[in-house]
Amino acid sequence: MSSGNRLRRRVLVAATSAAVVILASACAGTASTSTSSSAATSGTPSPTTTAPLVIGASVSLTGDFADSGKAVKAGYELWADEVNKKGGILGRQVQMKIVDDTSSPTQVVTNYQNLITQDKVDLVFGPFSSLLTIPASQVAKRYSYAFIEPAGGGPKVFAQKLDNLFFVQPAPVVKSGDVYADWILSLPKADQPKTAAYAELDDPFSAPIAENIRARFEAAGIQTVYKQVYPAETRDLTAIMSKVAAANPDVLVSGTQSEDAYSQVKSLVQLKFSPKFMFMSNGANSPVEFPSKVGVNNVNGIMSTADWYPGSPAESSPAFVAAYTAKYGGAETDIDPSSAEAFSCGQLLEQVAAKTGKIDNATIISTLHQGTWPTLVGNLSWDAIGQPTGSFSLIQWINQKLTPVFPADVAKAAPVYPKPNWGG
Amino acid sequence: MHALIQGLILGILTGGVYALMASGQTLIFGIMKVVNLAQGAMVILAAYFSYTLFADFGVDPLLAIPLTTAVMFGLGVVIQLVFLRPLKREDSAQLSLLVTFAVALLLEGFMSVTWRTTYRSINTDYANASWTLFGYQFTVVRMIAFVLSLVSLGLLFLLLNRTRFGRAVRATVQNPMSAELLGVESKRVAALGFGLGAATAAAAGSVYGLLYPFNSGSHYDLISELLSIVVLGGMGSVGGAVIAALIVSTSSAVVATMFNPTWSSFTFFVILILVLLIRPQGLFGTVERGAL
Repeated sequence: MSSGNRLRRRVLVAATSAAVVILASACAGTASTSTSSSAATSGTPSPTTTAPLVIGASVSLTGDFADSGKAVKAGYELWADEVNKKGGILGRQVQMKIVDDTSSPTQVVTNYQNLITQDKVDLVFGPFSSLLTIPASQVAKRYSYAFIEPAGGGPKVFAQKLDNLFFVQPAPVVKSGDVYADWILSLPKADQPKTAAYAELDDPFSAPIAENIRARFEAAGIQTVYKQVYPAETRDLTAIMSKVAAANPDVLVSGTQSEDAYSQVKSLVQLKFSPKFMFMSNGANSPVEFPSKVGVNNVNGIMSTADWYPGSPAESSPAFVAAYTAKYGGAETDIDPSSAEAFSCGQLLEQVAAKTGKIDNATIISTLHQGTWPTLVGNLSWDAIGQPTGSFSLIQWINQKLTPVFPADVAKAAPVYPKPNWGG
Repeated sequence: MHALIQGLILGILTGGVYALMASGQTLIFGIMKVVNLAQGAMVILAAYFSYTLFADFGVDPLLAIPLTTAVMFGLGVVIQLVFLRPLKREDSAQLSLLVTFAVALLLEGFMSVTWRTTYRSINTDYANASWTLFGYQFTVVRMIAFVLSLVSLGLLFLLLNRTRFGRAVRATVQNPMSAELLGVESKRVAALGFGLGAATAAAAGSVYGLLYPFNSGSHYDLISELLSIVVLGGMGSVGGAVIAALIVSTSSAVVATMFNPTWSSFTFFVILILVLLIRPQGLFGTVERGAL
């Protein structure tokens, strides 16, 4: 019995000591990885520092947002490559430290906590989606880090009223469709639609966009003849579209995500109803996916909005496209706008550094709150709580190609109306 | 009135698609008392197969059905042999829920890795075509789906009622022990029966891909609808599944056109609950034995 106990104790001691060794080596591991960057963070970084500038970001490489998360990662890493080719930021090479948050709002908190307190990264960039941006931006706020983020533009992000947050798109999500109302109401009264129908996905990123347009239209006297909000699980939109067809509106405004946009178009084609004007908040702005889902002959005349798109007039766009296709292959139309938005986050840092000669969080926060900053996704400026104050570009399918048509400074063609019939 | 009739047309034609999907589900339950939670995933998998055949090899999704049917049959047999056969008979009904859910997750993971999570849809030149008749639109794909499901269900009926294998299947459904005593190899019947249920997913998948955009996660919504249809029709009754599918799709289409799409699934569940209160075994289900 006693020898058995002793044996057990010996095993226990061995196990504990093994655990201690493992723990110690693990600590040593983190310590050694963090030394390189902690030298840079301790004290005010001066332009003479040559240690790498480490930027941490948590993106979704697995889970629901995996595809978009990978696009964001591609954008961050591409920017780091490009800026390092130019000699880095203030002479410091940029090092991206990207970790996976599995699309989970709890993991994203752990990740930013670790990036900031354990890895002691110099700066952070945001994750993908409003869902993850909200908790992550709170962590950044706690440590007074600037939170430049490419993909969290929902109302709840700005309801936090954070002064360290900057959403790197031209406008908050709910206002992304306002440019369509601007265009319609800029038309001569005789050309404007008289009646409107609204089909809206019940989602914080869809219905509010169409509702904003509806408010503008109704104020301008465009009569609402049909409005329907549908739940996300509505697979078959034919029933709703047959009601739209029966109401025979001049304009159909659709607050859509992706698959519901495809379903709406398919149903309308099958019902042989083609409105004079047609706007879809999302889904129709995807250069490859949309025509492949609804058929290339059914896209012409449909409008949507975008920030970066193939053929974008942004000054840095050609270089971005060349670098992207050189690094990742594929064609310009294969580039996810999320990659361009992520790339733009880095462009902002370059400009802050060039302007101030400093690259610490306090400088970034105070500098970005003033002035206008040209990026891939447009000229950006923010209000006190990080809401961009610009507008998206109105794009239209013309000759089966997505073409910017409004406002005038981005337009490459005149808007086509009335919309050609299906198949035309 | 016009909208109501258009809604009815839509509902009846869509009912054919659902009947096709639910027949395999109810068949598998009928033969093995297995609630197959992977049926929706198998439909989506078949949709991906016909998507790949169409996008990469130019094979028409309808012409691809014999091929995908064979593949899905094989897959069904393998799933039964690997995952379901090892279960002990006494508690297989409960355990099969967990096992088939695991299979569904496995298939979902496989599909997200292989085809990524972007939505796919099979876009043939007739995918959005429709015929106009008396001012009403009849979607070509839905018409084809309706006919296809009638043909598939007809073939299934002949197989179950006019062949030796069918008799063995029905015997196994009604009384597995007696069937075995009379020389039916119930294990073989179970494997082939599961294969048969999976095979019906092939045609359903082609049609689904033509009608709706889909990704690997689409099977969750699908399986809840299929289960409701199977329960409403009476578990194990193929005829019941067809009627139930028609009830589901017409009621939801009519409610969506006449009132509000938010209420359409609600309406169906009201019908389901009412039927179950009056006939707990479903419309065409039998209390003790399975029926086919």
